Amino acid sequence: MKRDRLLGRYALISPAAILIFVFMLLPMLLMALMSWLEAGQFGGVKWGLYTPEAYLKFLFDRDLSDNLVFNTDYLSIFSRSFQLAGITTFLTLLVAFPVAFYIALQTPKHRTWLMLLITIPFWTNLLVRTYAWILLLRNGGLIDSSLHSLGIINSPINLMYTPIAVQIGLVYAFLPFMVLPIYTSLEKLDWRLLEAAYDLYANRWQTMRRIVIPLAAPGMVAGCILVFVPALGTFFIPELLGGAKTLMIGNLIQQQFGVSRNWPFGAALSFALLAVVLIFMLVYALRFRGKGSLTS
Amino acid sequence: MTSLSNAIVIQNIGMVFGSGVSAVTALEDVSLEIGSNEFFTLLGPSGCGKTTLLRLIAGFEQPSTGSISLYGQHLEGLMPFERPVNTVFQSYALFPHMSVAQNIAFGLEMQRKPKLEVQKIVADMLELVRLTGFEARKPAQLSGGQQQRVALARALANRPKVLLLDESLSALDAKLRKEMQLELKRLQLETGITFVFVTHDQEEALTMSDRIAVMKNGKLEQIGTPTEIYDFPRSRYVADFIGETNFLTGIAEANGLRLSDSQLLEVTLFRPLNSSVDVAVRPERAQISRDGAGLNAVVREVVYVGTDTVVYLEIAKEVFRVRMQNHGGAAKIVSTGEQVKLVIPPDAVRILEAES
Repeated sequence: MKRDRLLGRYALISPAAILIFVFMLLPMLLMALMSWLEAGQFGGVKWGLYTPEAYLKFLFDRDLSDNLVFNTDYLSIFSRSFQLAGITTFLTLLVAFPVAFYIALQTPKHRTWLMLLITIPFWTNLLVRTYAWILLLRNGGLIDSSLHSLGIINSPINLMYTPIAVQIGLVYAFLPFMVLPIYTSLEKLDWRLLEAAYDLYANRWQTMRRIVIPLAAPGMVAGCILVFVPALGTFFIPELLGGAKTLMIGNLIQQQFGVSRNWPFGAALSFALLAVVLIFMLVYALRFRGKGSLTS
Repeated sequence: MTSLSNAIVIQNIGMVFGSGVSAVTALEDVSLEIGSNEFFTLLGPSGCGKTTLLRLIAGFEQPSTGSISLYGQHLEGLMPFERPVNTVFQSYALFPHMSVAQNIAFGLEMQRKPKLEVQKIVADMLELVRLTGFEARKPAQLSGGQQQRVALARALANRPKVLLLDESLSALDAKLRKEMQLELKRLQLETGITFVFVTHDQEEALTMSDRIAVMKNGKLEQIGTPTEIYDFPRSRYVADFIGETNFLTGIAEANGLRLSDSQLLEVTLFRPLNSSVDVAVRPERAQISRDGAGLNAVVREVVYVGTDTVVYLEIAKEVFRVRMQNHGGAAKIVSTGEQVKLVIPPDAVRILEAES
């Protein structure tokens, strides 16, 4: 009878397990394998030859006499990506916290409406919305022409194809992902705790710092992960708004599977990215271990 | 209370929530004075405005009209964190992410007290509420009674001039509640802080208070010591709310109250002749006898309740309870259906004000 129950349990989890295996684990294993192979001439890989070449290419170049020379080109793309994703996380946090706080303070009926407004952008494809930013940012676009007619500037603003344009696009695209988890944790906040803090001589700022922010921390951390990780891997926002000058890791990986036809290198880059993200998560998990009671 | 200075003076406080048609009057022209070192209780059913009055003193609400002063200082426009009062909340409102010690230290840290002093006060407070050894626990790891004591310690640590307690014992079970009632009284005597306690539990109010203010629909109904409130209720509302009471209604005559069954209750009424009068009689002040003088009544039920025996009589189509103390074994003096005499001493009759 015990065996039957065990079987039943396996039967119940098998659809999910198969789904995860086929659509996540299997492709990952394939990518891992690919990263240790040699690139095929017209894309794809040559099977059978295992080489660390793809991983070496990330840090080194081969000179004419086939010696390894340290090359920082790819590292600089990595560091730019981290910088852009980091600033995006910081800026979205800065904007999303007051927004989420404001929404959480409203009556339940109002909250539902405001949250609907936050999610409305999701109804339109992000690609289309990013194209819309081109119309706003380009020379002669809405921002440029209004600043001109107001007399604030008299030369073209040249915003498009700069890291700033990419930054604006990233903050815009990922803002809702920061608002939602912070709102969720603030919504559960017992507002009577704020009265208690006031009663115990804490002013507004101290109440915010000592009570609200620590209690909203799980939501803030979740939001940071939800923004930072996808922002790091994004490719069409820098592609559309940054042009060729503001490459991010996502673009680099995409190029390897596209024009560069170096699948092993693309796979290796993906794994390098994955490793860095996992390290970040691990540090977070270790730092907040045992503080799980915060969320309950 | 005349020898004591006033800690809190509340003058003509009115409080209206909302506006226009949806306006709700929570308090109406409330004036009272609370003495220094007094254990003062605001008593009333839910919705009578007692908690609103407490929140006005704490500064969580601003009064629509009137003023509150604390030791001569006007509180108008002062934020809660600028007032030398602390609150023990009904829900305790302990900070869930902080340990017991951090919770207690919070108010002191906000006042920038030196670290060593904070540590000493926290240790003292834990001892006072008998929770030494619990400093590292989180609120979630404490029982209701322990949480209540932490909330108390957190408020008392600041040595406020006035401590406000909002139904602070209502979440505890009966036994713990009794213990905490005595504990609170002990703390109040030890610390010499003025306590303003809000409750809907009349027994709790009688046990702990120096004075009680009974509230009804946002107005003060009666203020007095527990004995005054219990023995001399001003209105039917107060008499009914505090303890057990019998009510008799009749027409005032020269030498007493003429009941609806035309029996005469002999008492001096000080009321115009032929006016309708309500009187109250506490069940323990009336007696039953088989013969002699008294009002005719019929025994409907005899209930043994341990310390006492309660006899339910019918008189003038009303139920009248008589409570008699048992002295070893039930006081089996009467039985159901029996015709008896109800004896009400004139000094046990409380003449009530007409209901407004």
